[in-house]
Amino acid sequence: MSDQALLERPAAVPAPTSRKGRGSQGLSRLLPYAFVILPAAYLLVFMFYPLGRQVYLSLTRTRLANPNRSQFIGFGNYERLFGNPEFYSVLKITLVYSTMAVVLGVAVGMIAALALNRPFPGRTLVRGILLFGWAVPNVAAALVWLWIFNERSGVLNTIVTGLGLERISWLTSTDMALPSILLVTVWQVAPFVMLVMLAALQSVPEEVKEAAVIDGADKLSVFRAVTLPHILPTLQLVSLLVMVWSIRRFDIIYLLTGGGPVGSTSTLIVKLRQVAFENHDLGMSSAYGVVGLMLALMVAAIHALFNIRRQRSNSR
Amino acid sequence: MTGFPKSVTRLLHAVLVLALVIFGGFPIYWMATTALSLNSELYNTGQVPWPQLGNLPAMLADLVQLPLMRWLVNTGIIAVGTTLLSLVLGALAGYALSRFRFHGKGPLGFLMFMTQVVPEALILVPLYAMFITLGLLNSLLGLVIANVGFSLPVAAFIIKGAIDAVPYEIEESAAVDGCPRISVLTMIVLPIIAPSLAAAAVISFFAGWNEYLFAATFLRDRELWPASVGLASFIGQYETPLSAVMGAALIFSLPAVVFFLLIQRKIVAGITAGAVKG
Repeated sequence: MSDQALLERPAAVPAPTSRKGRGSQGLSRLLPYAFVILPAAYLLVFMFYPLGRQVYLSLTRTRLANPNRSQFIGFGNYERLFGNPEFYSVLKITLVYSTMAVVLGVAVGMIAALALNRPFPGRTLVRGILLFGWAVPNVAAALVWLWIFNERSGVLNTIVTGLGLERISWLTSTDMALPSILLVTVWQVAPFVMLVMLAALQSVPEEVKEAAVIDGADKLSVFRAVTLPHILPTLQLVSLLVMVWSIRRFDIIYLLTGGGPVGSTSTLIVKLRQVAFENHDLGMSSAYGVVGLMLALMVAAIHALFNIRRQRSNSR
Repeated sequence: MTGFPKSVTRLLHAVLVLALVIFGGFPIYWMATTALSLNSELYNTGQVPWPQLGNLPAMLADLVQLPLMRWLVNTGIIAVGTTLLSLVLGALAGYALSRFRFHGKGPLGFLMFMTQVVPEALILVPLYAMFITLGLLNSLLGLVIANVGFSLPVAAFIIKGAIDAVPYEIEESAAVDGCPRISVLTMIVLPIIAPSLAAAAVISFFAGWNEYLFAATFLRDRELWPASVGLASFIGQYETPLSAVMGAALIFSLPAVVFFLLIQRKIVAGITAGAVKG
């Protein structure tokens, strides 16, 4: 930490001392802004202005056919939203989906990381194969999983009927659609968790582990007392990242089920698109989106809070 | 030790690894196997569960019927544009965040972190309305502009992290010699952090390569479709042979898989650093 502060405040650079700068240093005081003006302006124009527009839209009655003519109605959309039982079902699906994505994705990823943390022949190859789900583009992933899930000719139902069971409507029944989507999500998310956790596991100091073993600790207690505390901050970070990504996720859900059947896989973000482009109600669509954003922000805030607390306890 | 003989734990470990390999690798294996199947098998007699290389010519004959080449060119244009713009803006922001102290540094870092929380779908409609006004709606440039909003911050975080690790003394002498700061960045700093720059480039490139939602919403002409939209258009239609669709999906996935495997460690460092320090 102190190294970094040193780098940021080198004696010979005019800019950092420029607070007290006078005369000839006036120009160099502006130097940092010359660097950030373009990227900052870019984000303001193409990210935060649209975002602000969208939040404003949620306070208006606006139709898709005429997006530039909107009538301000205050919290009318939110009142309708919170009075609509459908909203609570969408909210519940979002929470169940993103929580399960974290629980299952982190569990599978963590197990994979532990399995790969010990040397065995072909480890590099195995590691590469396990990363497929993370590297394959969403659209390609959706195409192959749609075929795997295909009710009549898909490989899963070939196996299921081979076992003498009834065919399963993987993506077209309200019971199975969400679990099926979670399966694909875990396939996509677990590799990332594995990669990050593997890096964390490999940074556990070997000497401490050895010392514990010499002291007669068994493997499980070494894991609990040495490894786990060391990797816990990373585990926390990765869980929160997966949670935020799951709240944001659109492509794979939209492509696999479009939010159906009967809304059983309709998360806030998928619903947002449907309300905008099928019901043509931009105001209401934005309200769904704003709730989604709030949810993601809350998760990010919790993460920031953990971070601050950890940094405090570290600096003590 | 809790009593398991070594051979048993080794066996359990092998079984676990095998299960993980099947779960992680099967969909890609199945993509290839399906691409190398006859379409009559797929829907009628049942799929052969291993790749039949003999069917490759038949699949390729179907594949060339698709406008895959044009889609890939469009995808490439979007991806290259996204990369260039992300790197230029990301290097400026990353350098400033690493080397300067200035008013608004904290808020800028926060805004950049925010972009990773904002769902793409949330700015879809306002961006659509804006692009109508700017004449960017039915164009590849519009897609580049939309993508960069999300990939620029990631590039900036990676570049900032890399510059943080470069000792400042290296720049100092050049700065004293009166070399402009921007040349210090382009001629001294960026070459040193080339590996991280490459990682940022790969991430931006594939953000553009894989993007679906903006492309599906903003493009009207089929001529402009990238591969993601083109491939997604096969969902729910049965006129195109499935084997050719899977072959196309495989070709579309291959560059992403290869490059992500090459720079996996850098990506993890960048994403986690960005998330921690934002």
